[in-house]
Amino acid sequence: MADIVKRAGIARNTFYENFSSKEDCFLAAQQFAMSAALRRVVDAAGEIDDWPHRVRAGLSAFLSYIAEEPTLARTCMVDALAAAPSSVRYYEESLQAFVSLFRLGRDVSPHGQELPETLEEALIGGVFWILYQRLLLDDPDQLGGLLPELVEFTLTPYLGAESAHAVASGG
Amino acid sequence: MIDPVNPSVESPEYPPELARLPPGRHGLPREFVARNQRERLIAGLAEAVAENGYAGTTIAHITRHAAVSRRTFYEHFGSKDECFVAAYDTVMAELRQRVDDAFNEEGEWPQAVRAGIAAMLDFLTAEPHLARLSMVEALVAGPVVIERYDAAIQGLIPYFQAGRKGRSTKVLAGLSSSTEEALVGGMVSLISRRIFADRTGELESLLPDLVEFTLTPYLGSAEAAKVARAG
Repeated sequence: MADIVKRAGIARNTFYENFSSKEDCFLAAQQFAMSAALRRVVDAAGEIDDWPHRVRAGLSAFLSYIAEEPTLARTCMVDALAAAPSSVRYYEESLQAFVSLFRLGRDVSPHGQELPETLEEALIGGVFWILYQRLLLDDPDQLGGLLPELVEFTLTPYLGAESAHAVASGG
Repeated sequence: MIDPVNPSVESPEYPPELARLPPGRHGLPREFVARNQRERLIAGLAEAVAENGYAGTTIAHITRHAAVSRRTFYEHFGSKDECFVAAYDTVMAELRQRVDDAFNEEGEWPQAVRAGIAAMLDFLTAEPHLARLSMVEALVAGPVVIERYDAAIQGLIPYFQAGRKGRSTKVLAGLSSSTEEALVGGMVSLISRRIFADRTGELESLLPDLVEFTLTPYLGSAEAAKVARAG
């Protein structure tokens, strides 16, 4: 707590006027970062009609946000897991925010009707796990290079490996 | 290629406190008692954590469930954290053994993956307290456990990497160095979200989805769905 108020350059009282506890403050930081990241994703993805490229643009925006704010991203994706249950729950819920973006892929997939119900949840869990592992290594510069593999990973179940690869390496 | 039977994943070393033998160990009967007490403490911790959550669990809770004295607790563990680490390692070793046995019993890789995932879901369903301890409470039990949690999940990677063997160059071109990492991350995320929400009963019904999800990069959607729905 002393670390937070010292870094923020505020009085302890001011802290308690804004947050009821350290956990409460942590959750607010997490919500701030997640909604900023999501806004970036929506802005980037919304401009594109073609779904596979929309996913690419969305993932790209997400990665660049993390690369710009590595400390905040680390707090949200790494430390959140070790924080209070409210933070773990929020982390899990934020994953869900990406579900709808991916779910649109069922409309363009030749076998969209047959895809497993939990596919989007699993894909997003996989993407978050990769990002979490890279953030653990404390090497945010590496993140940009992940774009092709994450695009390929997420598009493959909908489009097949070949088309996914083309979008991933295309541009 | 990593041998899935003997994956070269390093398990973190025990902290020295845990490797310390209980004091006054002079012969088998005494050792047996000590071992027995240690196991009881581990089981006691699992029960106490299921009841109170990790943060709310005290050493008094653990010793009450284990029916041993506080002094005995401290003969085995220096702290609640240490006891949790021991419990976590015990649960994960058991889970890993079951997955490994199931995986190795099948001759064909896609069926082996199916059997391994089924074994994991069976264990977690049959032991909801241990499921919660290993997949939910582990995350709030401090950096030592988180490191082990990460290593345990990453330790599943070789089972999937084995699926690269014998695939066409076309299929291999579609796989990246992080494909398996993303697959285990996605799989664990589906499982732990349900345990977190106290919906452990739904785990077994995840089997076909998880099989299809993990096999698709190697076999394509249609073939993966076939294996998922068979059996």
